[in-house]
Formats: sequence, structure tokens, C-alpha cells
Amino acid sequence: MTRRRLAPYLLIAPGFLWLALFFVLPNIQMLLMSLSTRAGGTGLRKEYEFTWAFQNYVDVLTGFPEQFGNSLIYGGLATLLCFLIGFPLAYGIAFRGGRYKNVLLFLVIAPFFTSFLIRTISWKILLGNDGPALVILRDTLGVVPDNFNILSTPLAVVSGLTYQFLPFMVLPLYVALEKVDFRLVEAARDLYAGPWRRGGAIVGGIGGLLFAGALFTGLGYIPATPEGIASAALPILGIGILGAVVFAVLVSEAFVRVIFPLSLSGIFAGSILTFIPAIGDYVNAELLGTTKTQMIGNVIQNRYLAQNDYPTAAALSFLLMAGILVAILVYARAIGTEELTGGRA
Amino acid sequence: MSDQPLLERPVTRRAVLVGGSLAGFAAFLAACAPGATESPTSTSGTPSTGGPSTAPGTAAPPEVTGPLNFANWDAYIDLTEVGDGEYDLPSPTLDEFRAEYDVEVNYANAQIDGNDSFLATIQPQLQSGVDPGWDLMVLTDWMAAKVIAAGWAEEIDPSHIPTVLANVNDSLKGLPYDPDFKFHVPWQSGATGLGYNRESTGRDLTKLADLFDPAFAGKVTLLDDSRDTFPLIHLMLKAQGQTSSNEPEDMDVADVETVHAYLEPFVDSGHIRAFRGNAYLQDFGSGDTWVALAWSGDLASSGGENDVFVYPEEGANLWTDNMLIPKGARNKYTAELMMDWVYDVDRAARLANFIYYISPVKGVAEAILELDPELEGNELLFPPADVVARLHPQPNYDEATEAKVNELYADLAGV
Repeated sequence: MTRRRLAPYLLIAPGFLWLALFFVLPNIQMLLMSLSTRAGGTGLRKEYEFTWAFQNYVDVLTGFPEQFGNSLIYGGLATLLCFLIGFPLAYGIAFRGGRYKNVLLFLVIAPFFTSFLIRTISWKILLGNDGPALVILRDTLGVVPDNFNILSTPLAVVSGLTYQFLPFMVLPLYVALEKVDFRLVEAARDLYAGPWRRGGAIVGGIGGLLFAGALFTGLGYIPATPEGIASAALPILGIGILGAVVFAVLVSEAFVRVIFPLSLSGIFAGSILTFIPAIGDYVNAELLGTTKTQMIGNVIQNRYLAQNDYPTAAALSFLLMAGILVAILVYARAIGTEELTGGRA
Repeated sequence: MSDQPLLERPVTRRAVLVGGSLAGFAAFLAACAPGATESPTSTSGTPSTGGPSTAPGTAAPPEVTGPLNFANWDAYIDLTEVGDGEYDLPSPTLDEFRAEYDVEVNYANAQIDGNDSFLATIQPQLQSGVDPGWDLMVLTDWMAAKVIAAGWAEEIDPSHIPTVLANVNDSLKGLPYDPDFKFHVPWQSGATGLGYNRESTGRDLTKLADLFDPAFAGKVTLLDDSRDTFPLIHLMLKAQGQTSSNEPEDMDVADVETVHAYLEPFVDSGHIRAFRGNAYLQDFGSGDTWVALAWSGDLASSGGENDVFVYPEEGANLWTDNMLIPKGARNKYTAELMMDWVYDVDRAARLANFIYYISPVKGVAEAILELDPELEGNELLFPPADVVARLHPQPNYDEATEAKVNELYADLAGV
């Protein structure tokens, strides 16, 4: 009897130990560091002392509004873009992939066989001064001035983030869509679910407008003022109309009422898996960005590795972690799923 | 071919730089596994000719152990020509060392991209006294001084570096932080000045003020070492009468704040694209940077034909990078042998001839000219008197100024 009661604990033990050693202990250490202050030491040998310095948290909260903002904006935009690119892709693979499903899925993951850094650096080449993007815009079309940059702008950072984390969006979406029983769609059609003309046009149009506004504002191409948005009215309107047309033509009522609700779990998991690493990322901002596009990860990296300012770095790390946890809780409440752990599957 | 790791394939020098930057960033991301960017099998070099034997004297020498893990900056070693205008590791200097002592050398090109960032990768090991993974590292004087003061450098046995002690330039002797070369041996000296691509800028630049020409907006980088950027901008402001008359080596907190206030709008407007380490070399290569604060030899050895370095009219920084053996290094004796190895006059000449930095070795000028008479009057290798008059040592900030500089630099760099 005792043995049977012990068995589950024994099975949990390795995982638990692993967590305790490599997650809990370092986190305690970091928590203590985040509440420490400089206690002397000269030159390189800085010493820190645990003093319940909650002021550290106040300082970092007020000290880095720009970088927190950048993280949220770039992470959010990248997640949105990943969703817009990833959903049709996952849908196509799940419902139209046929016998090529596995090949297509493999192609989604294929970039992961290359190092993260090399992939980021290849974006430097793509968006760089001699890269195809600028060569076409500047030299062939001549629509931008000679010293125009794509690299070292928010656009480059968001592009990099979107590219890096796209598979994290596509795979959960695919899993969710894969599980949708297509007979439900057929049943919906039998019950006169047709094209979603008017609703699609309205939703697509408004969605397009909002998306374009968010994108242009977030990337810093227009100031976040009414005048700024007015100056960019034409492209924003264009994207809105495009959204309306696309939705009216492509989206059916069966999709809205059956497939989309059933894929919510995938959207939840995908957006969390994309958003969390994206807001904590610093490599893309470091390599593709500039001094004005630094994210909170860059600050943490710099404080830990360049300035040896461990308390600030630790406090920032904790804030980031707490912020993400709160965001997930709110999000989980809003969407109302426990699918992140595969609950309803 | 295919059995060779990617980074060892014959590539152009530019490609070596890109590869090097990957290695550098890898380190910067993931602490410090010695990046073996050089193949241990490529021992095709010829044994050393000429120069005194550098093996230690009659007392039973310690054992030569290896592999020697050597961390260095980009564009800081001679390379082998592997094709028309293409250069790649292995380096002849290191190859001959390998043949002479029958020991492997893991030369990690571009492992160091900044003094602070490199040291941060090994600081935990130094602090806890375990093997930092490197046997030899190259740090700029101010950082070398700090490392020595912290007790993180192994003491060098003078009997193992006779060539160094005999050949080192007098001007480098007796530095306050380590007067007798007990802990450091100079690697190369150089200047921080103005680098630009003549084709992109469309004109010749002569002064630091050219960095702020509106025509170059978005194509300008400064250096991420605050001991390079702040003193040079101070020099410029001083020449324009916009700041105090302090020499850059004596900058105080007020001067630092003036520099920050001057740079801030240029950073905000995006005129200054980034603060960079050696990575500016790739940006010059791709045309993403037109004008930058640069280190003197880099563009000559590793830039394109239109990339130029000038000593700015307002003045420039002079510094020395030094070889140090980090505390806990596994192959200390081998590292000492390497220090001695590069002080042979002929080897030093060949190295200088390739990397265009100022050699710390006495009598190297004649040897360089013997190798290539056209280098007579080369300003990078032999700064003329009027340039020397404009060169300033890097500032030795006191603790308060340093803290201020770090804070204001972090503000500019957005971190």
C-alpha cells in the first residue's frame, strides 16, 4: 500500500528536483539580488548587500518607460502579425494540406535548423543598405532618399521578431484547426451558412483600419496624434478597404460560427507562445534596431553584462516576469480557456 | 571542404569579419565557451626563421600545455592569403608558434567586441577563482589596469618573456598600473578617430564635426566604449569653444554632461544610428554606415578600398591594448611563450604590416619598411609629428565621473 502511495511522488521527483535546482533556487537568488544595494567594493569588484531595497523596483518602474513601451508595442505587433500570417497558413495546412501536411509542417519548422543568430543576421542583410528591400525601393523605384534606412528602425525589429516567432504561432493554431471535425462545417452549410458578405466587410474593414493604424503608429512612421493619423489616412484607408474585400470574399459564415470558435484554444496558446518570448527578446533589437528601439531585454542584458548593475537587472527581470504572469491571467480569463495545458482538448 | 566547419572555409576578409562577429555575438549571448575559429589540423605553417630562440634558458622549463585559448578583437591578427585578395585564418604567426612548440592554438577572432562586454562574460569565473576558459586576452589599458587592480591577472614570470623585456618600446615602460610588466604585455597601440567611406560621403572628411553633417543622417555610428566616444566629442566641442578647456584626459562630470547634452538630439533624431564595437566593420561593408568613430588600423586591414581612417583635426585618442593572462588560466606558461613570440622584431613587423596598428616593439620600423618599402610615411603605422601632437591618452575617470559616464552613455544608447 505504502509503495503505491509513494509511486507518484517518486515519479514527480526528478522533474521537481530539476525545477527546484534550476528554477526556484536561481529565482530566489535573483529576488534577493533585486532587493540589494551597492555595499562598497572598488573598480570591478563591486559588492552588493541585501537590504530590502524595494526602492529598486520603484526606480526601474519609473526609469525605463520607453523600453517597457517598446517591448509591449513590438511584442504586440509581432504577435498580431504572426497571427495574421500564421492563421491562413495553419488553416491551409490543416484543411488543404492533404498528403503534403507533414512536408508543409516541416517547412514551417525548417528555419529552426539554423542558429537563431544566423537567422537574425540574415535579416540584417535582407534589410540592409545593399539588401533587396532597399535596392528595390531606393534604386529601382526611387521612392525613398539615398540615406533611407529600414535596418535600425522599429520596422526591422518587428520584422525580425515576427519571423523568429512565427512557428510558435503556426504550430498551436495547426493543432487546434487539425482537430476541427469538418462534418460540423458541412452541417453548418446544410443549415444555410453561406458567405459572410456584409458582416465580413464590416469586420474586415474595421479590423483593417485598426491594424493599419496600430502598425503605422507602433512602428513610429506617424505620430500618435489625430493629425498624424490623418496624414497617413490614405494608406490606412487602403488597408481597411483591402481587409473588407478579403473578408467579404474569403470568409464564410461556417468559418465564423464553427471553425473560428473551435480554434480559440490554438489562438490563445499561439499568441502566448509568441508574445512572451517576443517581449523578452533582445537579440532582434540589438542586431536590427538602434538606440531608440531598445527593448526591456536590452536593458537587462546591458545591466547584467556591461554595467554589472545586478540589482537593477534583477528587479527588471522580476518585473518582466510578474507583468507577463498578470497578462496571461487576464488573457486566460478573457478568452476563458485552460487549453494552454491541453485541458479541453 | 564539407568536413570543415563553416567558419574555416576560405572566404574573403569581409566574410571573416562577418563570421567573427557571429563568434563575438555568440560569446556575448552565452558566456564564454572558447570559440575555436581556427582548425587544429591546419598546421601547415613553416617553422620560425630568424629571430632569437624564445625558449627559456637552462633551468628546466615548465611543460608547454595546450590548447592555448587566445581571445582577441576583430582585425587584429595576420591572415593567410587563400586566393586572389582573399584572406583567412590560420594566421602565419600563430601557425609558426604551433609548429615551434607543438601546441594547439585556439585563436578566437572577434571574441572581444568591447572591454566591458568581454569582461562581463568571464567576471563570474574570475570572481570565484575558477578557470575562465581563456589563457590570453587582450584588453585596453584602462581595463587592464582595473583587472590588475582587482587581482584577476596571473603574474608573468619575467624569465619566460626575455624578448618582451628586451624589445618593448621605452614609451610603454613604467606605466603606473604595472610598471614592470608583471601582469601585462602590450599587444598593439592605436588611435580612435574618424572612419568614413569616401564613395558614400562623396567628399573627404577631416574633422569630427563632419560626423554631424545632416547629409549623413542615419548613417553615423559612434563607439560603444564610453572612453572613446565621450573624449572625442569633448575634443570636438572644445575646438568649437562649446565646452570647458579641460583636456579630454581630464574630463570632469560637467564636461561629460555637456557631451551628453550635445549628442542627445542627434540620437533622438536618428542621426546617430548606433553605438558599436568592432561590428562597425560589417556596417561599413554593407553600406549601412558611412561615417563612424573608428579604430585606426581596422579599415585599412579589413575595410573596402573606399574606407578611410583619418586623424581628425580636433585631435584623437591614443591607447594601447595589452595581453593579460586571466587568473586561473590553465596554460599560463604557453601564454607567456605567446607573449614572447610576438615580440620578435620580424614577426612584429609582419603583424603590423597586416593589421596597420602601431607595434609596441622597438626597431620594428626598419623591419616593416624592409617588408614593404611603400609603407614609408604610412600615417597609421608611423603617426607623423603633427598627428602625435594631437593625440591624447584616454581619460582615467574617477569613480564619480565613471558612474556618470556610464549612466549618461546608457541613456544615449537607450539601455
